[in-house]
Amino acid sequence: MAATEARVAPGPTGNGLVARAEGLTKRYPPAVTALAEVSFEVRPGEFVAVLGPSGAGKTTLFRCLTGLTRPDRGTVSVNGRDIWQNPRELRLARREMALIFQQFNLIRRLSALENVLVGRLAHVPAWRVISRSFTRADRQLALGCLDTVGLLDRAGTRADELSGGQQQRVAIARALAQHAKLILADEPVASLDPESSATVLESLRSAVSTGVAVVASLHQVHLARAYADRIVALRDGRIVEDAPADRLDARSIELIYERNAERDEA
Amino acid sequence: MATVVRRAGEYPEPVVTWWPGRRLRFVVVLVLLGAFYSASWHLAKVDPGRLLTGLPKMAGWAAKAWPPATDELPVLLLRTAETIAMAAIGTTAAALLALPLCVVAARNVTPSLALYYPARGFLNALRGVDSFVFALLFVAAVGLGPFAGVLGIALHTWGSTAKLWAEAIENIPPGPLEAAAATGASRVKVIAFALLPDVAPSMVSVGLFWWEFNVRASTVLGVVGAGGIGQELKNSMDLLLFPRLLTIILLILVTVTVIDHTSEWLRRKLE
Repeated sequence: MAATEARVAPGPTGNGLVARAEGLTKRYPPAVTALAEVSFEVRPGEFVAVLGPSGAGKTTLFRCLTGLTRPDRGTVSVNGRDIWQNPRELRLARREMALIFQQFNLIRRLSALENVLVGRLAHVPAWRVISRSFTRADRQLALGCLDTVGLLDRAGTRADELSGGQQQRVAIARALAQHAKLILADEPVASLDPESSATVLESLRSAVSTGVAVVASLHQVHLARAYADRIVALRDGRIVEDAPADRLDARSIELIYERNAERDEA
Repeated sequence: MATVVRRAGEYPEPVVTWWPGRRLRFVVVLVLLGAFYSASWHLAKVDPGRLLTGLPKMAGWAAKAWPPATDELPVLLLRTAETIAMAAIGTTAAALLALPLCVVAARNVTPSLALYYPARGFLNALRGVDSFVFALLFVAAVGLGPFAGVLGIALHTWGSTAKLWAEAIENIPPGPLEAAAATGASRVKVIAFALLPDVAPSMVSVGLFWWEFNVRASTVLGVVGAGGIGQELKNSMDLLLFPRLLTIILLILVTVTVIDHTSEWLRRKLE
């Protein structure tokens, strides 16, 4: 079901880009080049999978996109804001992008619903946060987001009592509650079993169907092909492939993961 | 994947890391420890002989103490209540003062390192001075009575509680805080919404521990004139009123036991 949905080309997008990275370069002296001249664009309602072997630069790319690591060169703009221009721009840009982590990063003692409400923190006055009295509109919005990821019935459950897959779906609901235009997911299913991986990726797909753009790094090629619209492949810090998911053939996949004999020995 | 086959006896053995190894170093450590304890023995003027001659004297007191005196029970109960009240007010004041400071003194959430180090130093100074010593100073400043005890308890507990709370904050996993901050929320909101629920149980637990500890501490604060049951304890000892002394010791035992169990029960309820 999700697989056929995934092959549908992204709908009409308008001319606004959600995110644009240009010439991103990051070196870790003395010898590691994590990213070399990486440029790509993300359009609204697009699911981009980032593939690549370990050490290809996927994590560094995500850290640069989210403003956690400053690239040596290059720019990142999110919804037209240059995130490295000044801290204010970064903070404003962060409201419009949501992060999904491999380890979910939910607040373990809070309910699923409260964790989704974390997505509203930036929009709510401080006194409401401190007194934990969110408006009915915010609570209803959060419940709607839980509904989107199929967890409405777990709204009152403590986060640490949910399974890994459910926790990751709560994290996606948190991203939706943020009204983010862009969801950045670094290895969202790397610590999940195949079945949970599928439900999590389907939840990301349903986020995409609401017009959000998703950039997710994945380890498994078949998942990328089944759920993503576009695949960006990194190797040794360079983009070696950037193509619609259904045009990626066995030959190019081999190219992405081509064994580097020297490094395997090390 | 290469498989290397060696014969037994040729495998390099990994270095054991938890034991410093080297027989010589072991002997040196042993000698140093021996020197330390023998010096301590002399400095502390340990003399088991004197204990042996002193024991019959204590046994005599114990015999004279029975039965415990009950004629002054109402006064002594009031003094006990005074002791618990001192601990409660002192600990609560300390907790309120510690609340803002523990955030500044926790490396992972401090607003700035320029505040972190002075805050840590201040807390360590408060913690380094016992509530007994503070009470001694306050008796001189505000006069005899439980208020001096309250102030002494509050200052020492302020430093101790804030330091333990700061450590609890530093020990929570950074991921959820990062995730909350990544939504663009301000520091205050992140601390109030994402940090507090995670540390609140251990903070309450630390607070209860200090209340319990301070009840025990304040039973002796009276010895320096800072009110409570300790004052009666000292008077009775000075006047060699052993039945009265026994009553006081029994009251202290009962109070401390009840407080310990209540606090333990409350702490267990939290988890």
